[in-house]
Amino acid sequence: MKGKFTILAAALLSTIVVLSGCSGGQKAPAAAKLAPEIQAIKDRGVLKVGTKVDVPKFGYKDPKSGKIEGFEVDIAKAIAKKILGDENKVDLQGVTAKTRGPLLDNGEIDIVAATFTITDERKKSYNFSDPYFTDGIGLLVKKESGIKSLKDLNGKKIGVAQSATTKKAIQEEADKQGIKLSFLEFGTYPEIKSALDAGRVDCFSVDTAILYGYLDDKTELLLDRFSPQTYGIASKKSNEALAKLINDTINELKSNGEIDKLKSKWGLK
Amino acid sequence: MTGPFAWFKWEALFAEWTVFGEGALMTLAASMLALALSLALGVMFGVMSTSHWKIAKAISRIYVEFIQNTPLVIQIFFYYHGLPHLGLSLPVFSIGVLGVGVYHGAYISEVVRAGIQSIPKGQREAAYSQGLNYVETMKYIILPQAKRIVLPPLANQAVSLVKNTSVLAMIAGGDLMYRADSWSSQNLYYGPAYVTTGILYLMLCLPLASLARNLEKKAEVHA
Repeated sequence: MKGKFTILAAALLSTIVVLSGCSGGQKAPAAAKLAPEIQAIKDRGVLKVGTKVDVPKFGYKDPKSGKIEGFEVDIAKAIAKKILGDENKVDLQGVTAKTRGPLLDNGEIDIVAATFTITDERKKSYNFSDPYFTDGIGLLVKKESGIKSLKDLNGKKIGVAQSATTKKAIQEEADKQGIKLSFLEFGTYPEIKSALDAGRVDCFSVDTAILYGYLDDKTELLLDRFSPQTYGIASKKSNEALAKLINDTINELKSNGEIDKLKSKWGLK
Repeated sequence: MTGPFAWFKWEALFAEWTVFGEGALMTLAASMLALALSLALGVMFGVMSTSHWKIAKAISRIYVEFIQNTPLVIQIFFYYHGLPHLGLSLPVFSIGVLGVGVYHGAYISEVVRAGIQSIPKGQREAAYSQGLNYVETMKYIILPQAKRIVLPPLANQAVSLVKNTSVLAMIAGGDLMYRADSWSSQNLYYGPAYVTTGILYLMLCLPLASLARNLEKKAEVHA
């Protein structure tokens, strides 16, 4: 309901802006060159971004301040600055692996910066920027299980997140090593952790950066790392202009060393 | 076309239709067993709640209130994530049958109670005066009449039971909803996936609904 109201208000507001722009005569030739999708974001005055809220260092909602912070939030701010000239004009919305695709499609958010792994299959549905981060898949197990490597997981159950590329990557590695695994998929990371604690799964496997957030006294992260995954900023497939703009921003951040500064700010390698 | 319903996404679904087929079978199996369990529990507790035996009444009340007033998801989470900490790790399929069966058993119990209580007191008194005991009165006089009244709400329960087995998706249950989530989350072709899943649930529920309608008609003819 609230979301609907916000959309309505935004639509009204943009109509007013457009109307007043018309009555004022054609005095903005520079803006006319912009693609309509980008112009829409400009008119709205805010970039709507989907980020994770449960991944420390990337996108995490601090329970004390209630603010969403992280490496990916900072990247989103850089993109907002590029489009709107102000890095604070971002409207952050928490997404999960499952909701980020549909939210992009229905226009609820403009871009996704949420540990979104780039794959060829996904590129058919969305535009991805060049990668801004590379991370391997890790394995989190209970200390008491005595499991030390993927080989020890032969015949065991692995808990993975829905909409994650983990299952495929681990399966390929398992095939290589000639071991058999079964996978159970869950909607959120806390559910996988709970399943691990309850002994429903023997291993919690997602991107390593995410696993660090769930490490505690009873669990340990194995040294194995599999199939490096690259994260990209996703946007709607039809919105080519926005995709180009995002990519330019990412490449700028890379070339001027800003991205490395951000990584060290958040303690990422 | 690149929208959520792009043709190539449908093609991918048709190529891997067995994923959905297996899920539908699993949902069907869990539903049938859960339905049998819920009917058994429902009739038992429904009859108990109308008896004059206070303890039976109290037990039935506790069961119904406890189950009816907590969300199904919480109950399922308890069986799946909670019980193992108490040393009991049930397989996920049994959790589906047990969880959904117990949940709908409580509702069916209320349906049965309402049905029994809707039969005029005189019927019972007349049965007793003919020398029938409690069980015989129930079996020959009360329940056959109550059947007519409880069939429509019972059919509702059966249909919503089938749909409620979709909570298994949250505990990696391998049911239809889980398969749809799993398949579509891998490739993000969620458009065709959920439309197909919706149609499959419809195909599972419609025959049940029409079967119930037939039974209803039959019951009315005999009445």
